[in-house]
Order: sequence, then structure tokens, then C-alpha cells
Amino acid sequence: MLISYQWLNSLVPLSVGVDEFALRMMMAGFNHESTTAVGDDWCVDLEITSNRPDCLGHIGLAREAAVLFGAPLKLPAAAPKAGATKVETLTQVAVECPELCPRYTARVIRGVKVGPSPAWLQKRLATIGQPSVNNVVDITNYVLMETGQPLHAFDLAKLRGRKIIVREARSGEKFEAINHKSYALEPGMCVIADAERPVAIGGVMGGVDSEVSTATTEVLIESAAFDPLSIRTTARKLALRSDSSYRFERGVDVENADWVSRRCCELILETCGGEMAEGMIDVAAPRKPREPITLRAKSIKRIVGIDVPMPEVRRILAALGLEEVRGSEFGVTSNKSDNPEPGTLNPEQVTVTPPSWRRDLEREIDLIEEVARIHGYDKIPEDVGVPMARSARTDEDRVLAKVRHVLTACGFDEALTISVVDDGLSESFSPWTDAAPLALQMPILERADKLRRSLVPSLLKARRENEAAGNRTIELFETAKVYLPRAGQLPQEELMLALTSSGSRPSSFFYLKGVLEGILAALQPDARFEVRDAKHDLLTAGRACELLLAGEMVGVLGEVSPAGLKKLDLREPTIVAELKLAPLARAAVLVPRYVPTPAYPAMERDINLVVDEQVRWNDLAATVRACGDGLVESFDMKGEPYRDEKRLGPGKKSLLVTLQLRSPQRTLTNVEADDLRTRVVEACAKSHGATLRA
Amino acid sequence: MSLAAFISDLDALAAEAATKFAAAADAAALEAARVEFLGAKSGRLKDAQKGLGTVGKDDKPAAGKKFNDVKAAIEAAFAEAQERAGAGGAKVAAGPPFDPTQPGLRPRLGHLHPLTQTIEELKDIMGRLGFTVAHGPEIEDERHNFEALNIPKAHPARDPLENFYLAVAGKVQGSGFGVQGSSSTSNTDPKNPELLLRSQTSTVQIRVMENQPPPVRIISLGRVYRPDTADATHYPMFHQIEGLLIDKHVTMADLKSTLRLFAGSYFGGEVHIRFRPSFFPFTEPSVEVDMQWNDRWIEMGGAGMVDPNVLRAVGYDPEEVSGFAFGLGVERVCARRHQVTDIREFYRNDVRFLEQF
Repeated sequence: MLISYQWLNSLVPLSVGVDEFALRMMMAGFNHESTTAVGDDWCVDLEITSNRPDCLGHIGLAREAAVLFGAPLKLPAAAPKAGATKVETLTQVAVECPELCPRYTARVIRGVKVGPSPAWLQKRLATIGQPSVNNVVDITNYVLMETGQPLHAFDLAKLRGRKIIVREARSGEKFEAINHKSYALEPGMCVIADAERPVAIGGVMGGVDSEVSTATTEVLIESAAFDPLSIRTTARKLALRSDSSYRFERGVDVENADWVSRRCCELILETCGGEMAEGMIDVAAPRKPREPITLRAKSIKRIVGIDVPMPEVRRILAALGLEEVRGSEFGVTSNKSDNPEPGTLNPEQVTVTPPSWRRDLEREIDLIEEVARIHGYDKIPEDVGVPMARSARTDEDRVLAKVRHVLTACGFDEALTISVVDDGLSESFSPWTDAAPLALQMPILERADKLRRSLVPSLLKARRENEAAGNRTIELFETAKVYLPRAGQLPQEELMLALTSSGSRPSSFFYLKGVLEGILAALQPDARFEVRDAKHDLLTAGRACELLLAGEMVGVLGEVSPAGLKKLDLREPTIVAELKLAPLARAAVLVPRYVPTPAYPAMERDINLVVDEQVRWNDLAATVRACGDGLVESFDMKGEPYRDEKRLGPGKKSLLVTLQLRSPQRTLTNVEADDLRTRVVEACAKSHGATLRA
Repeated sequence: MSLAAFISDLDALAAEAATKFAAAADAAALEAARVEFLGAKSGRLKDAQKGLGTVGKDDKPAAGKKFNDVKAAIEAAFAEAQERAGAGGAKVAAGPPFDPTQPGLRPRLGHLHPLTQTIEELKDIMGRLGFTVAHGPEIEDERHNFEALNIPKAHPARDPLENFYLAVAGKVQGSGFGVQGSSSTSNTDPKNPELLLRSQTSTVQIRVMENQPPPVRIISLGRVYRPDTADATHYPMFHQIEGLLIDKHVTMADLKSTLRLFAGSYFGGEVHIRFRPSFFPFTEPSVEVDMQWNDRWIEMGGAGMVDPNVLRAVGYDPEEVSGFAFGLGVERVCARRHQVTDIREFYRNDVRFLEQF
């Protein structure tokens, strides 16, 4: 809201400079945006929150300033002199849609002389950036900026049938506004029509056909109220916003329509001459009187934390226009035994009726805010002792901390990508569901309107952008939710961990698998992933797998196929993985229990086994464990499998494995270890056709 | 020469060499001793080697072995003496020159996203102040995102263009006239509620209060979504952190004091808090919070006392309990702390950016 400081001072004489004014207003809830010098005046921009439409005019802000600075508020008389002709003989008003237009008032002035505005009027409007049109139009704008109530002046001679009909727009109705643009109207929009056609979009903009011009001699002054929601929807649908619609959207003071109409007519008579018809046409729905509100002193203390003396409370409320209700029921003390003098003010509470322009004041809490705001939030202490309370880290936070710890130690950088993706990314990979992704009504960015079902595509997009930036090492992870549709229920939001790692080494797949195993080990030291072959369009066939925990599919791991790389515009090979965090967290050992360290030393035996390519490590390991008499502590592979057709024969691989043996009861002897090694070799030979490499 | 004599000569030589090496007072003396015993042309060990040719043929292997043992012993004695004398004492160096200025073999460490680091730190501070973390869904219904938060149907904040509503199959997209009940937002079917990406984390507060009697002391945080055009200070997705304290006798003084401890803990040093009146549907009174730090007032976020309508909506009695709530945008806090000038950087995930934190 732009205000002229001189204009404001004409309503409330302030003895402070514009900077102090702006600061005090800011501390009372009107954020100060800027102050600009315009000639010898200041234009001050104050932000008005949506609950305070009464301050979308100079009078409203003057009233606030009057309370803050203890200065008197001086309102214009708004007492135009009426002629003998009754307004009803000059025009008629019918409101067919009272739900869209709760009040419509009209006054008529005849014999006006339309021309340029006087200098004082032009100057005030210019200060707040309003162009001058002609004296009548300028006055309606001036009174709008003074009171916050929008007005419209019609050229009465151009209203067919000399009448006003407020109604809903009809389907297909066209309308040319004063901005010379044509608008297609539709039902639900409120139009001001004459006997034949719309002459204004109610509360939004007037029409070019009935606008006041230099040829105009009779004007009809509209001062009305419109339904805020309808105005908002209309203004948005037509992409037509105005100072009027802005105010009607937030709600105007219905009671004040008459005063504002008189104020406007007073200025027109002063400035443009003419004679005002007697009376005002007023079509209004019945209005309920405002309910009184009681404010208790103890409530102020209970919410604000400080006492505000009741005389100060009463001063603030009265200055803001709230009227104290006096009487046995309200104002005086209700303690009967005291039998107070009539008119004694209750020291415990005050009952007031809010003014018509403060629709935001309905409850005790609203009054508490008013009192506290004017009294000053700076009086609230900032060093009271807030009681202590226990607070524990959540298990989810502990789990995430461990996961992040492993990943940063493994050299992964954390990415944060947006939860909504475009169709291409959405379709590229969806390991958790075949259901179509949830969609938004409008995209969040560019074409992204699908809630993601996997984090992997987003990470690959980040990978591509890093490649484009020339970054060599791109090791990324993200922990975030995916959104899995469920029939007839709220979607399932599943917390995932996704990774993308370089795929340029032969061992890349197993490196990333090792990272996942490391995460599992950090959370569930005794658990192992089961591995199952998997197939996904994005991943190279035969180089992708699913990871299971206790029979549940919890992860997917694989190499992005050449076709996948091409589709996602990636240059370098990459391995990706995605892991559900909930199953990992569910059985996480967040408080490990002490296990005594082994009392006896371990023995190691290396074995170089040659097996068919088809033999899988998992099967081999199971065989080894089965024949170990519980003495096999670990069975690991050293390095990569070795392949050499000449030395091993075709279709063979050689695995160098290490057997770590330990007994909890005694130190194993060399003979025992060699024995066990022999048995392992024999079992592998029997079950898997393994031979010792020569 | 007999084997016995050969051996006894060698033993004597070894003992003498050991004594001389041990007695060498400085590098020059040690070098002189080295030349005397180990000299390549006329050292005494070289001389003794000539005796090897004079022992009997059968004794040769034993004599050779003895000679080698003694030679090794004398060399070891010299090396020991040399080490004692210090590295500068001799020019005999083992292997090629060592260059400790070569770069270290640095393991590559990953980096947590700066927003995660900020969130963790804020959570940590609030934890110390007794606030426990609470989470909730990102896809919300209108009750939790609006109604329970005192944002009625006609409120502009519920406009379909101000939120990311989910498209529902078979439903016409658009924004009709609320007053006529034809709007896509006028769906009140409880079995098929209108869903949207949450526009604030206050939804979590509602869910916690619905399921727990007072007192409540939580912080909720996470991703929120609003249709802002992406620019240096806006992104349609961002992170919020919100605190909520509900109990008997909670006042704005508690709010101010809590925020002061919070800001002081995060930024360090003496911080003062200022409230400016503001308006939010779910708090009354509502305030904008500024903090004074290094003699400047800096905007922190929004706060206020939980509106009685919100307390009632979750079944609390506003005459019995009161409470405060506050919220901060994590991106803004993080950007200010690390002087990030464009918040879109947070979502570009350029490794060169991530590595800085």
C-alpha cells in the first residue's frame, strides 16, 4: 500500500519524521518496504497483511498512527448538500444475486462539469503513482485510496433504461472493459448491467461504454460490497486485477458504503459542480450486529506473558474503534457482593464491540493480539526460564546418521534432488511398483509433474549435469522418499537410499555392492543380503540383482546398460543402487551388545580353486560353511576371479579364497587346519567340481 | 694355516673391529676405522681373506662359512656405529632419495549436503532445548494442510494455483467458483479426500497433537512445496523446520526466550530477539521474528501463539493449554551462513559445490 505522507498528515497530524513513522508502523505490523521522495512529499510503501483490509486506505493507516502516536484522527465531514430531486426518480437498482453482491448503493449527481482535476488532487494521486484521468474518475480513485472502499462512476446517460441490474454473467456474454480489452464472461461472475448489457464486472473493472468522459453530465456513483471469493476467482480467471478487486478480495467494510458514497459526492460537488439528488438507493442483505467480545486481564498475561494495565487496555481498544459495552452484564464488575457503583469499570475484564471495519476481530485472542501489538512486543522479556524437558534422538535419525557416516567415509557426496520428475525420468526406472506414478495438476518445474517412484533417475540426471560440467569423480547418494500409489489409500511414502557410482572398473559392481554391505553391517552386523537375479530395462541384463533381507526385497543393484546410458545422455558407465531404509532400520542394532573377543588365535589357509564359470560364490560358500564344523570364521575371496583359457581351460575361473579358522575352546593345530582345508577342498570338488589350481 | 688358527685370527679381528668402531668419537674416526677393517683394497678383512687359500682343502667350507660370518658381524658393527653417529655421519644411504614433499595418498571423503548439515545442526540445538523430532507425510489431505490449521475453504492460501494438488483420474482440473460448489477444491468426500504436496510442515504438528495429549514439544522438518518460480531466492521445493511447544502456562515470553537460546546457539554470542506483528492463520498473535546479531537486525522467520481454533481442532482445550509455534526456511538459514547467493545451487548437486561443505 503506497501512501502519501502529507495526505496521511491531513488525517492525523504527526509530529514525527517519516522515518520514525515508518519504523513505528513496521513494529505495529505494517512492514516497511520503502520510502521515496516525490516533490515535497514522501511516498511510503507499507505491506498490509491479508487480515487488515481496513488499512488498504489512508484513513485506516491514519487510525493506526493515531493510536501509536496519541494524535487525534480528523475525518472529513462527508456531508454533501442534496438537491430536491429524489434519486429514485432518476434511476433504479435491482440486485439479482445478493450472495455475490451483499450491498449495492447508488447516488446520482447531475450537471457535473468533467475536466482536468485540480492541482492538489493531481499531486496527491501522483505521489502514490496514480495517473490522472479526469476530475470525476480521479475523485473515485482518491476516495478509494483514502477509505479503501472502491467506487465506480457511471455516465448515467449511457446506462440503457437508466437502471442498474446486478446479476450473474450469462454464458457467452462479452464485455469490453475500460482498458479496451474484451473479456468473455461466464456464470459465477458478478456483472453490473443496465437494461440490456453488462456495463461493469462487479468489483473488478468498469466498462468502456459507460465510462465518464468530458461529455458526461450525469454520474451515478456506485459504492458496493462484493463476495470476496467470487471476486478472487473472477479476477484470476480473467487475469484482470485492479485496485478494486484487490480490496474486494480481502473484504470491505459493508457498513461504510454510505459514508464513502457521501465522501465521494462531497468531493465531486466541490470539484466538478452539479447537484446531488436527494437520498441514496441502498439494496442490501440484512446484516447481523457484531457480537460483543470479553477480554480478561488474566488471558493477556496467560498468552503474552506480561501484565498490561487495564486502563491501557481500555485506551488501546477505544482508540482502535472498539466500543466498550457498559451495563450490568458486561462492563461493571460481576462480583455481586461488591455491589459497585453503576459505571465502575471492571478491573478484571472489558467487554467491547468491534467496529464494522475490523472483521478480523471476533474472539478474545484477537483482542489480546491488538492490545499486545499496540502496547509493544518489545515489552515482552526474552530471558524467562523455559522449563527443561527430555528429548531423545529418534531411531530414524540414528539410522540415517550411520548410513551417512558410511557413505561419506566411502567417498560419496550427498545430493538433494526435487521429488517431482518429468515423464521420461519417471518411466526410466521403477523397481518398486508397476502402478502409474501420481501426478500433479500442474508441473513443479519445466515438465516435471510426476511424483517419483525411484530416486535413481533423479541421481542419474544429477550425474549427467556433473558430466556436462566436466567433473571426473561423480559418486552421489541421496536419502529421500519415493511415492508409491496404493489403490484406495493414501500413497505409500517410502524412505529410500539411492546411489550412483563410477562403472569404469571391472570391479565397480562389487565395489558398490560392498558399500551396501557396509551399510548393512553398520546397522545389522549379523545380517547378510540374499541376492536374486533381476531384470530392469535400465540395467544391463545379467548384471543386475535384487537384495533381500529376511525374504523381503529391500534393494536393487545393477549396471546401467549402454542403452540406458544413451537414453539418459550419460557418457561414462555407472552402477546404481536403491535401498529401502525402513527394513534396515527396523532391525537395526543401535545399541550393540558386548561379545567377548576370541580368546584363541585364528589360523588362515589360502585355497586356489578352479571351478566352472556357472558355479556361484554363494553356493560355494554354503558348502564350505557346511563342512567347517563351526570352525570356519570367515570365507572370503581375495581379488577378482582369474580367467585364462590356456592355463585353466575354457569356461573356467580360478578363485583365490582365504579360509579363516578359529575354535572358541582352544588353539587350533596346524594339523587340524590342514585337515579342514583338505575337507573343504574335497567338499568343493564333490559339490561343485572344483579342482585345486596347479 | 690350520683351520683353528684361521678361526682364532678372524675372531680376534672381529673383536678388535668392534672395539674400534665403538670407540670412534666422530665421523672421521669411524671412517678411518672403516678403511682399516673394511677397506676394499687393503682392509684387514681383505688381508684375512687371503688366509682362506692356505687352509686345507677339507677345511675350506668351514673356513669360508666362518669368514662370511665374521664379515657380516664386522659390517653389522660398523652399521650400528654409523647409526649411532647420526645420519650425517656417513654418506652411505639405503636406496634412492626419499621425497616427503610428494603429495599424500588422500582417501576421498564424501560430503553431506549443506542443507543436511544445517538441518542436523538445527535439530541438534533444538534437541538440547528439549524438542524431539517428528516426521509426517509429504502428501497430505486438506484437513491437515488447511482445515485443522485454521485455513478455511475460502482462504486464498487454498487456491489451486497456490498449491500442488494431485491430479485425480476422472476429475476435471480447474478452479471453479467456490461459492457454487463446483470447484475442484470443494471435494469433501472423506473417503477420497483432495490430496496435495504439503505447503508447510505444520501438518506434522497437527498429526502429533491428534495422537498425543499435551504437553507437546517437537520440531517437525522436511520438504515442503509451493508454486514459486525458481530464482535466486525461491525454489518450488524447500525445507522447513518448525518448533511447537504446548503446555500449561506457555506464553510469548517463552517463545521469545526459546528463540533467543536457539539463535544464540546457532550463530554464537549474544543475540536479541525482536517481534514484529504479522498474520498467519494458525497462530494468534502472529509475529515475524528478527534477531540482532553483530548489530544488525536479521529476519529469522515466522512465529506466534497457536490459534485456539487449531488447539480445538486437535481436541485440546485452549482455556487449559496454550502454546507457541515457529518456523524457519532452512535454505535461507543455510544460504546466509555459507554466503550462498543463489539457492538453486542447493539442487544442482554439482560435485564442486558439494565438496565445499
